[in-house]
Amino acid sequence: METKTILICDDDEGILDMLEIVLEGSGYHIVPVQNSLMIYDIIEQEHPDLLLLDLWMPVLSGDQVLKSLRKNPQTHELPVIVISASRDGQQIAADAGATDFMAKPFDLDFLLKKIQEYLN
Amino acid sequence: MDSLQNGTFNISHETTKEDFNLLLQALDASISGIILTDNRLPDNPIIYCNKAFETISGYDRSEIIGHNCRFLQKEDRDQKERQLLREAIKNGENCIVDIRNYRKDGTLFYNELYMSPIKDESGKVGYFIGVQNDVTLRKKAELDLRQQQDVMEKRIVERTKSLKESEDYLASIVQTVRESLIVLDPEFKVLSVNDHFLKTFKVTIEDTQGKLLYDLGNGQWNIAALKELLESILPTNNPVEEFEVEHDFPHIGKKLMVLNAHRIELEGQYKDRILIAIEDITDRREIERRKDDFLSIASHELKTPLTTIKGLVQVMQRMVPPEVSDKFKAILDKTGMYIDRLNNLIAELLDVSRIQTGNIELHKDSFDFDKAVHEAVEAIQAATKSHNIQITGTSNEKVLADESHIVQVINNLLSNAIKYAPDHKEVIVYISRVSNYVKFSVKDQGMGIKQEDHKKIFDRFYRVGEIQQRFPGMGIGLYICDQIIKNHGGTLWVESEPGKGSTFSFTLPLNKPQPDGN
Repeated sequence: METKTILICDDDEGILDMLEIVLEGSGYHIVPVQNSLMIYDIIEQEHPDLLLLDLWMPVLSGDQVLKSLRKNPQTHELPVIVISASRDGQQIAADAGATDFMAKPFDLDFLLKKIQEYLN
Repeated sequence: MDSLQNGTFNISHETTKEDFNLLLQALDASISGIILTDNRLPDNPIIYCNKAFETISGYDRSEIIGHNCRFLQKEDRDQKERQLLREAIKNGENCIVDIRNYRKDGTLFYNELYMSPIKDESGKVGYFIGVQNDVTLRKKAELDLRQQQDVMEKRIVERTKSLKESEDYLASIVQTVRESLIVLDPEFKVLSVNDHFLKTFKVTIEDTQGKLLYDLGNGQWNIAALKELLESILPTNNPVEEFEVEHDFPHIGKKLMVLNAHRIELEGQYKDRILIAIEDITDRREIERRKDDFLSIASHELKTPLTTIKGLVQVMQRMVPPEVSDKFKAILDKTGMYIDRLNNLIAELLDVSRIQTGNIELHKDSFDFDKAVHEAVEAIQAATKSHNIQITGTSNEKVLADESHIVQVINNLLSNAIKYAPDHKEVIVYISRVSNYVKFSVKDQGMGIKQEDHKKIFDRFYRVGEIQQRFPGMGIGLYICDQIIKNHGGTLWVESEPGKGSTFSFTLPLNKPQPDGN
């Protein structure tokens, strides 16, 4: 079975570290992206199977990223789980075209279950 | 003296003596006291008095004849009527006075004295005749009346003064309040405004009084919402409170105002006048918004590291080697539990702030109610090893509601069911459709809630006394849930008895007609 690649885009280093530990432990190939401006290039290079995307990020916010991804035919169908601590995150995510949403802080088992769902 | 003809009496057609007797008897029969004084003698002494004069004065004839009338005034000499009498006697004129006299026993009586001179052919005054009536009762009534009038007048003066004072007092209150006040006549013409109105809306009293409200300041008060309030709402819903109007004024900019309007229904001169109190909440709203913004940012920033901590603790829980003591595992579990509690506190702070400022935003969307409940239960179950949550029933309905808020309520109720029943493992969730509502219930086997607390637990910052020691918290979770459900047009309630567990339920309206068509 080929290793699935998950892109994690979050400006918070702690969350990137933590998710990397967890998801690599579950057998995924993880690409952390701290600067959201880099995300388009990295998607080109890595062809991820799934994107975990934060909302509140400096310069380029998660919903802006998501909206442009949805406009691009190559990433139109990419499963994107928005992870956000914002109270209105779920609404913003849905409006921008997210596949799913998880409020921070989330339960790891629940996150893994969701990831599995979208990768199978 | 028509009956005197040629010095001869002819009243009785008998003798002069008989006539004389008749006249004396007539005088004695009079109820008016009658005296004659001889002005030619020194000190003008009384030379005749009838019976009535004895009765009125209380003196005997023998004590009267030969005295000047002044003995009747005793020591009470300082009466202006005496001066009038003296003048009349001096000038030989008629005179009528009410004079204070005293009976023999010293009691006062008011004497209405008619005094008239009797002149001889040369015009010289020989005698005076005095006719006296005891008018004490009338005088007393007059005096009483005068006194009453004086009292009334004094009272009127006092009342007028106090009315004036209370008017000034009310006016000073009206001018002091930090709220704009307008009084309109039934045709919406401005009768008066207070200083605060003039200051806030930068107008003068001349530009305002007597003008139609809608015409003020070149029609800047011609506001659709205000028109609706005055012409449509107020006539049928009097008084109107907390009516919000937002308007962009040409000179002072955008204002957010809260209005109370009251049409006077009392019959009388003020009937149908309209009072409007305007509170400018533009700044307050802005401050509230900034507070909400600040709390949004603060809670976001607090939750971010919390997410990492929670994830790392969960990683640790998975990586625990089998030989590690149960105590160590329990410590890890507890750490996770307190992270969740901290997370809830952060979320609640923001929610309470938003509910208080009325900024709880509902993003209503149609969603599958059963699915949402199942997902929420699944998420909680995934994080809870200690309890087993079972779902029974279905509603098979979609609801139009804010899913994230409804899920928040479900999470809160489930967390409570687990938190307050640490020794019982079973939590049952029941979903159903009742009439045109969906109903969610969660039943725990916990400690239960006393009847008197059933309502109070939904109050803000209310904590059941004995709970606080075992389960610390801020007491806002259920308050938020209640507000969210209320905002959706549903109800949230509890059925519980101490020691027998609790069932928390809420309903949400389905946006379609009831089956029976009502």
